[in-house]
Amino acid sequence: MHEVSIIENTIKIVQEKAEENNLKNVSKITIKIGQLSGVMPESLEFAFQGMSKGTIVEDAKLFIEKVDAKAMCDDCNITFEIDHFNKLCPNCNKFATNILSGYELYVSTIEGE
Amino acid sequence: MSEIKVVTNILQTNDEITAKNKKILDEKRIYVVNLMSSPGSGKTSILEKVIAKLKNEIKIAVIEGDIYTTKDAERIEAQGIPVVQINTGGACHLDGDMIKNSLDSLNLDNMDLLVIENVGNLVCPAEFEIGEDIKISVLSTTEGNDKPLKYPLMFEKSGVVILNKIDLLPFTNFNKEEFYKDIKSLNANAVTFETNCIKDEGIDEFCSWLKDKVVEKRK
Repeated sequence: MHEVSIIENTIKIVQEKAEENNLKNVSKITIKIGQLSGVMPESLEFAFQGMSKGTIVEDAKLFIEKVDAKAMCDDCNITFEIDHFNKLCPNCNKFATNILSGYELYVSTIEGE
Repeated sequence: MSEIKVVTNILQTNDEITAKNKKILDEKRIYVVNLMSSPGSGKTSILEKVIAKLKNEIKIAVIEGDIYTTKDAERIEAQGIPVVQINTGGACHLDGDMIKNSLDSLNLDNMDLLVIENVGNLVCPAEFEIGEDIKISVLSTTEGNDKPLKYPLMFEKSGVVILNKIDLLPFTNFNKEEFYKDIKSLNANAVTFETNCIKDEGIDEFCSWLKDKVVEKRK
């Protein structure tokens, strides 16, 4: 994946939000990543360490929260966990097309003062 | 110290540009294909066959993504249809901004089908929306039937999967049964075709499917 450009965009988003809220430094950034998004948390950490230097997020701790992949069976009206290789409804065995979560890739919250 | 809610998509810049591209293409009722595969699986060969077969029936244009060369664009240009070359200069996929610039140099009023041939790569192109109606991925028999499970995202997101170089099947250990089982587990609704560009096998079937989609969007 594009961990470096993801971190580049993340820092940009955080900088804008920090300015908006008059923060002088950011101590914590939480980003959410879906299980199916194909993004590697370890590479994000590595990219963050390198790219945060000299920016407002230099001392911030990066928290990466994984989001489980879930789908809904529109026939049975139930929600269940899926992965790349299994998207079948546990009740009727039908392939689920209504994917509720798993492709997330967003900055969730920041903290600072 | 207070927590500030951000909730901003990290790829929002690409998503915003892509949404604009999509709006323009939808207004012109152009059917857009994002054609993806590993290098050498036969994207350009299939495209050449499709163009030769359909260019007198529908108006086709092509955007060619390539890291450095214009080799593929030259092959498409030889077919006598509009083609724009994008050289990504090292980047492994196309994004919304590159497509936006290409659209500026195409006549969208004279187009039914736009095929965007992505950079040959089974990983990154699948992660970036570029304003397409459908993602089509190509796998060739010589690559091995294990690739869909090894690179799930691309096959999961593709509405069509083409198995190319079907003529070479006897010379490989490609297991078609496993291939179809894996495609089904990733994406049960994918439409599949088998092609061989040397002897034009399966090209008619794929062209007929594609033409129906183009006509549907023109309505």
